[in-house]
Amino acid sequence: MSLIKKPGGKALDVLQNLPRITLANLRPEPGSKQKEKRRGRGQYGGNRSGRGHKGERQRGTRPRLGFEGGATPFYLIIPKYGYNEGHSRRPQYQPLSLKRLQYLIDVGRLDPSQPIDLTQLVNARGVTIQPQKRDFGVQLVDEGAELFSAKINIEVQRASEAAIAAVERNGGVLTNSFYDPISLAILIKPVPFFQRGQPIPKRMHPGEEMVPFYMDPCARGYLAPPEQVQQARLALAKKYGYVLPDLSRDELFHMLSSRKDPRQIFFGLSPGWVVNMADRKILKPTNEKLVQYYGS
Amino acid sequence: MSFPIRFNKSGNESVAETEIDRRGPSFMSRKMAAPVLAVRTGILFRSFKTFTTLKPFIPVIPQYGVLTHTANYHAKPLKLNLKDPYIPDKTSEKTPEWQLTEKFDRKRYGRYGDASGIDPATLWPTDEKLEAMIKDEAEWHPTLEVMLKNISLREEEEAAKRRAKEKLIASNMAKMPKMVADWRRERSETKKKMAEEKTRKDKLLAEARERFGYAVDPRSSKFLEMVAEVEKEQKKKKKLLKRRQKEEQAATPLAPADE
Repeated sequence: MSLIKKPGGKALDVLQNLPRITLANLRPEPGSKQKEKRRGRGQYGGNRSGRGHKGERQRGTRPRLGFEGGATPFYLIIPKYGYNEGHSRRPQYQPLSLKRLQYLIDVGRLDPSQPIDLTQLVNARGVTIQPQKRDFGVQLVDEGAELFSAKINIEVQRASEAAIAAVERNGGVLTNSFYDPISLAILIKPVPFFQRGQPIPKRMHPGEEMVPFYMDPCARGYLAPPEQVQQARLALAKKYGYVLPDLSRDELFHMLSSRKDPRQIFFGLSPGWVVNMADRKILKPTNEKLVQYYGS
Repeated sequence: MSFPIRFNKSGNESVAETEIDRRGPSFMSRKMAAPVLAVRTGILFRSFKTFTTLKPFIPVIPQYGVLTHTANYHAKPLKLNLKDPYIPDKTSEKTPEWQLTEKFDRKRYGRYGDASGIDPATLWPTDEKLEAMIKDEAEWHPTLEVMLKNISLREEEEAAKRRAKEKLIASNMAKMPKMVADWRRERSETKKKMAEEKTRKDKLLAEARERFGYAVDPRSSKFLEMVAEVEKEQKKKKKLLKRRQKEEQAATPLAPADE
């Protein structure tokens, strides 16, 4: 008569007999989703659904932010003080936090064994870059610096000091480099560019106002002399109190030490080359004038 | 800037070809996440948090080092009819104009490769176009050296301007104590003068009151006459005083001569 009592009892039985967890039987946690309110139903269905009577309010066609119905708006009066000088022409840098970068690496959307540049970041859907909207690239933000632990060779356009420190602490390399809008559009979407059958253009140098930044070794600018960059790396390690790993003894030394030429857009592809994707070929010019133009 | 570009220098106007690595360029491969990896990441993150919150900026021990797994993502194949590419008949009148352009030819080469029948040499700019490009670049894109020179010149100019202004401020500040002292002295002198003037007037008014028995208007002719009289008297007194002094002076030098 006596049944042998199993540890766990009924619950284990139930668990063993339940179907496997699949997308089909997963659902949001109760209470985590709020039902959308259905407007225009019930007693006052024929009325205005709480949107008031007529006009921009009812139709949701309010004018843009800062518009004052035709009067000179505040943000145009204020330029007298210079705060908003050239606000519509300022370069924008989409933020990318170290936390998100770590996530992208962890889930395998980014390959840390290869140099990471904007192509990789955009392809991993890590950032969205819109060169037409004055995006000049991506800025690395130090959010999540304490949990960042990947060793990478990354190329961004701006990076905060703490973000640089977090990358270098793990034995990684960070470079800030400039892309003019045309090169940027090519870099973020290479395949449509190769399908245009054009030679890869030269990357242009930054404008005069940006040259000091990209020549600054402390900012890890791509135009800075490498010896000074090494000194700056050591100085930053001292400032943040970590031991700078020796790159030359690293097994990934070759990958970590690879940098683009200031005129180069893609790793391994020089300006002036044409990529033929259909036949998997690269065409290189041999005309001396072309070689000189693309090589200068 | 030296640029390690490797060009094939065999042909003159022709085009050299090399095969792309069979694995394809790196931008074509990885993208999506594998759920298995995501689970493991979650676990690691949890352990990490407890580890790092205590020592926020100490070198983290790479618990899982460089991940060798990357999600394999096979990019969507390009929907191109490579076997039978469309080649527009350039002599036909029915071919739309936009298909006769050079841009469209390039596009066809980019899409269909050699099957498009386009001569790859036409993909690069012609001599005239290249010259225009070079000219354009010379006009609009100064070299780094030029930019650096401009920057240093501008900085020097700004520094000189600032130095000149600082010098001016310093010299003016050196003059400052004397100017302040002068201004203080002048102010005290004017105050003193005003006070003297006031006491004199009060005195005159008091005298007038004594003389006429009532308070006189200082603007009235009576008062003014009185003032003139008083001044005359004072002048007389002064004259007398002077004369007496002179006399005394005349007398005193004689005295020692007498002795």
